[in-house]
Amino acid sequence: MSRARFALIGLGLGIVLVGCQNVGIGSSGGPVGLPGLFGSMTQLATGGGRSVEVDEPEEIELGRAVTTSVGSRYKLLRDESLTRYVALVGNAVAVQSERPDLRYYFAVLDTDEVNAFAAPGGYVFITRGTLAVMRDEATLAGVLGHEVGHIALHHYNATIKKEKETALKRGFLTTVGHIGLGFVPGPGGAAASVFGSPALNLIADGIATVDLRGFSRDEEEEADRVGFRYAARAGYDPAGLRDFLKAVQDAGKQPAKSGFFTKFVSTHPGSADRLKEQETQLRTAPAGGRRAAARFQQAIAAQPTTR
Amino acid sequence: MRRTTVLTAAIIATAMLATAAETTRWVERTKVDIRAGRGSFYEIVDTVLKGEQVEILKTEDKWASVRTPRAKTGWVYEAALAAQPVQPGRSDFLKMAPGDASTSRTAASQGAKGVYAQGYAKEKGYDYSIVEWIESHQPTGAQIETFLADSGEAAGDRK
Repeated sequence: MSRARFALIGLGLGIVLVGCQNVGIGSSGGPVGLPGLFGSMTQLATGGGRSVEVDEPEEIELGRAVTTSVGSRYKLLRDESLTRYVALVGNAVAVQSERPDLRYYFAVLDTDEVNAFAAPGGYVFITRGTLAVMRDEATLAGVLGHEVGHIALHHYNATIKKEKETALKRGFLTTVGHIGLGFVPGPGGAAASVFGSPALNLIADGIATVDLRGFSRDEEEEADRVGFRYAARAGYDPAGLRDFLKAVQDAGKQPAKSGFFTKFVSTHPGSADRLKEQETQLRTAPAGGRRAAARFQQAIAAQPTTR
Repeated sequence: MRRTTVLTAAIIATAMLATAAETTRWVERTKVDIRAGRGSFYEIVDTVLKGEQVEILKTEDKWASVRTPRAKTGWVYEAALAAQPVQPGRSDFLKMAPGDASTSRTAASQGAKGVYAQGYAKEKGYDYSIVEWIESHQPTGAQIETFLADSGEAAGDRK
C-alpha cells in the first residue's frame, strides 16, 4: 500500500491533509497501541510514567483552535449551499468510520490551491481548487474519507501527546495532563473570565506549526485504506480516491496548472506509490458503486475552476 | 403447591436479575451525548456522564437505544458503554468551562463551548467567527438522512 502522503497542508496547521500534511500529528512517534482502538479517551504513557490523556472534549476544543489558525491562512468560502453539500458527502463516509459518534464539521476554503486536511475533533477542510480537480461525488467521497480516516484513527494524538509533555515540563499541566488544568480561573473562580489556556495554546501551536512534515507513511497508508473502505461502504465507487490522485498527477504536469499543485507535489513525493496502492486495492474490490457525477457537478456549478 | 409457587417466583426473580444485568450498561467516557437517532448529527436528547447507568432497550448496528437516569430515550454508540460498573469521573477540562460542565449535564452536552479556543484565537489575533460559521452551517440530521437515502445517481451514473 502506498505510503505516500496525500495530504498537503500547507497550512502548517497541523492537521492532516488529505494530503495530509502536517499536522504534526503523526510526526513524533505513534501513540501507544493501535490507532482506532482508543475509544474517545486515549491514554498515552509519558516518559515520566505519568498518564497523558486525550479526552474527546479536549480534542474538539483543539480542533476549534486549529480551525481559527486555518482561518488565518485561508479565506473560508461562506457558501452555505456548497458547504452543506460537502458536509452531506462527508457525513455519508464518516458514518462508516470507526468513530461514527463523533460530530464532523466540513468546510470549503476559498483558494485555487489543491489541498485538503483535517483537524482534531472532527473538523475537515477542502479547498475550492481541490473540488475543481474532481469530476464526481465518488472522488469527493474518497478524499473526504481519507481525511475522516486521520481523525477516526487518532493520527494526531502523537503530536498532542508530545505537546502535552512539553506543557508538563513547563508547568502548564498537572500530572493528569488535562489542558484545562493549565487554566487560571478568574477572581473567585468565575469561569466566564477564563480565557487563554497556556497548555491548549501550546498544543494548538504545536499542531499548527509542525507543518510540512505530514503524517507517517504508515498513517497515510492507513488513511488511504480506510478512506477507500468508507467510500465503498457508503455505496460509492471506491475508485474515487485513485481518480483524485491521478487527476492531481496529470494536472501537475500541465505548466499552466502546476503552480497550484506545487505544494502538494513537494510535500507528497509518494503520491505515485499511493496511486499504485489504490490500483492494487481496487483489483480486489467489488465492482459497482455510484459516481453521482450529475449531483456533484450541479453542486459545484457556481464555483470557478482552477485557472 | 406452595413449593411450586416459591420455585416459580425464584425462577422469575433470577430471570429478571439476569435480564437487568444484560441490559444495564455504564457510561465509560467523560460525557456522552444521547441522540435522537443513530448518528452524531441527530439532536441531543440527554447527556450522560461517566459512571452513570443506562438501560439498553435495543441495539442496531453498534448503536444502542437506551433509557437514561432522567427517563430520556435515545441512541448512543455502544463503544461508549461498559458492561461493568464504572467509577464516576470528573473532567477537569470541562470543569473549567462555564457552568462547570464536568458535573452539569446541560453544560457538559456542549463541552467546553469554544472557551479555550476563543482564548487561543484572542491571543493569536485570529478570528473565532470562522468556527461559529462552520459549526452553524452543517446539514441537519433530517437533511443527512434524506441524502443517505438518495443515491444521487443519474442514468448510467454507475461504474
